[in-house]
Amino acid sequence: MSRPRNRFSLPNLGIGLGLRTVHYAHILEHAPPVEWFEILSENYMQTKGRPLHFLDRVAERYPIAMHGVSLSIGGTDPLDRAYLAELKTLRDRTKALWVSDHLCWTGVAGKNTHDLLPMPYTEESLHHTAARIRQVQDVLGAPLALENPSTYVEHAGNTMKEWDFLAALAKEADCALLLDVNNIYVSAYNHGFEPADYLAAIPFDRVVQLHVSGHTNHGTHIVDTHIGPVIDPVWELLGEAFRKTGASILLEWDASIPSFEETHADALRANDFLVTKAGA
Amino acid sequence: MTAAKTAKSAKSLRDVQLWMVSAITGPEADASATDVARYVTAGPRLSAADRFSIYRSGYHARLVECLLDDYPVLAAMLGRLGDDAFDTLCRAYVDRHPSASPNLNGFGRHMASFCREGKVGRVPGFDALRVFASELATLEWSLVEVLHAETAAPLEIAALQALPPEAWARARFITNPALHVFRFEYPVNAVFIANRIEEIVPEVPAPSPNAVAVYRKDMQLWRMDLTPAMLGVLEPLLAGKTLGEALEAIEAAAADPEILAQTGANLMVWFREWVDAGFFTRIELSPEP
Repeated sequence: MSRPRNRFSLPNLGIGLGLRTVHYAHILEHAPPVEWFEILSENYMQTKGRPLHFLDRVAERYPIAMHGVSLSIGGTDPLDRAYLAELKTLRDRTKALWVSDHLCWTGVAGKNTHDLLPMPYTEESLHHTAARIRQVQDVLGAPLALENPSTYVEHAGNTMKEWDFLAALAKEADCALLLDVNNIYVSAYNHGFEPADYLAAIPFDRVVQLHVSGHTNHGTHIVDTHIGPVIDPVWELLGEAFRKTGASILLEWDASIPSFEETHADALRANDFLVTKAGA
Repeated sequence: MTAAKTAKSAKSLRDVQLWMVSAITGPEADASATDVARYVTAGPRLSAADRFSIYRSGYHARLVECLLDDYPVLAAMLGRLGDDAFDTLCRAYVDRHPSASPNLNGFGRHMASFCREGKVGRVPGFDALRVFASELATLEWSLVEVLHAETAAPLEIAALQALPPEAWARARFITNPALHVFRFEYPVNAVFIANRIEEIVPEVPAPSPNAVAVYRKDMQLWRMDLTPAMLGVLEPLLAGKTLGEALEAIEAAAADPEILAQTGANLMVWFREWVDAGFFTRIELSPEP
């Protein structure tokens, strides 16, 4: 754990892994030297049983951060107070160092698509979402880290680029950022922009965590599947972002998950990219 | 509200979101290429409609995958009706019971009643399997519920042994939240075992009334077949009756003499087995008469 370089004084926990069910037994039996785990918040909500039993045991041994997919921070339905209350209860239970979710919305008029749907990048969206982030941070009593999404369409009504929207939003809401470099790579491919333009706009003093993962390239587009090893161009983006922020790093692997050792080994490949070849 | 109607006034964030969800989750016509192009832009390699279809296909695929996680044996058995039978049924389920929750843990909870109603889309031959499919769904969903049920410390065998013989009739055995008991018309537990343990897809069985307990012990999920005699004792206990009341009910019902004999001969053995399985969390004694 190294000295924080972000304005929220959140620590750099090192290189972590997403906690996945298929690895529970290995983790509890072998207590592998992973620096921290990120949990998918919703997997431990609306349950009183086995998931919490295993989570408690992991949280006794490792630092935890929480990562959600259902906050719908950009949605126009009212914030789900019951969901927020349960999120806070889970944070208190795990002593999670921070809580993150995505810059997106998941549904409207009571219907949840369980997808991370792209926001229109407009002034209206910006102020609407910033106000909701402030409400969430009030409930949680802690900064919310918002993650840049992978997207497959751009709204015709957009009036600003995603990276400018994200930077302005973080400033207006005074929130933290979780920068997913794979998502930058995916969206850059899908929409035809340069990842360097994205990184150049990011306020790195707000970045408290970095995500990296595999994806599936269909030729015409890339889908953020979190399958397979991370490709080198994405690792290189991670290295570039890390050198600007020194934030905690997390490998996501969500489908066709290999053994714990193989998953952890892929995460540790990050070390090969954190310093430049000149050692700077 | 259809997508086409919404498009004419699509200016606010709310309107954009209403259109998008309608076009993602609704019929294909709600996401026509012309309409989509008014809301989203083309990309470097794909048209607006092709890009948007990634969200449409992802919506159904994600929720069908969730149902497959909950109902792997139902999916395997419906495979006997055709390769697409389970997928067709799930798509009808998604349309009938769209998710309104931020959490998918409970998304599949309507499957048993959905199968029993039989309005599952174009699945030839399903009607003959409605009750079987519903009971199989009940069994599989109970595994989900038991997994998520509250964790309670089980009754220790020592507590059972310490119960004086004269107190047994007044004993109320408080059952574990992670215990469900079912009566079925079809031997769905046998089908479950065949598919998940023996890795075969058996023939759909003939009706054969039976009962099954689904429970969690040491964080593992288990199933136990129950005989009619066991069920005669266990069901009243689950309903909050004392053991004495349960036994009186069995006698009053003038049950099969064989069942009465089994109950008398095996009661202690059953209780040891049930306590070992964690069926109960504590014993409460009703006041002496």
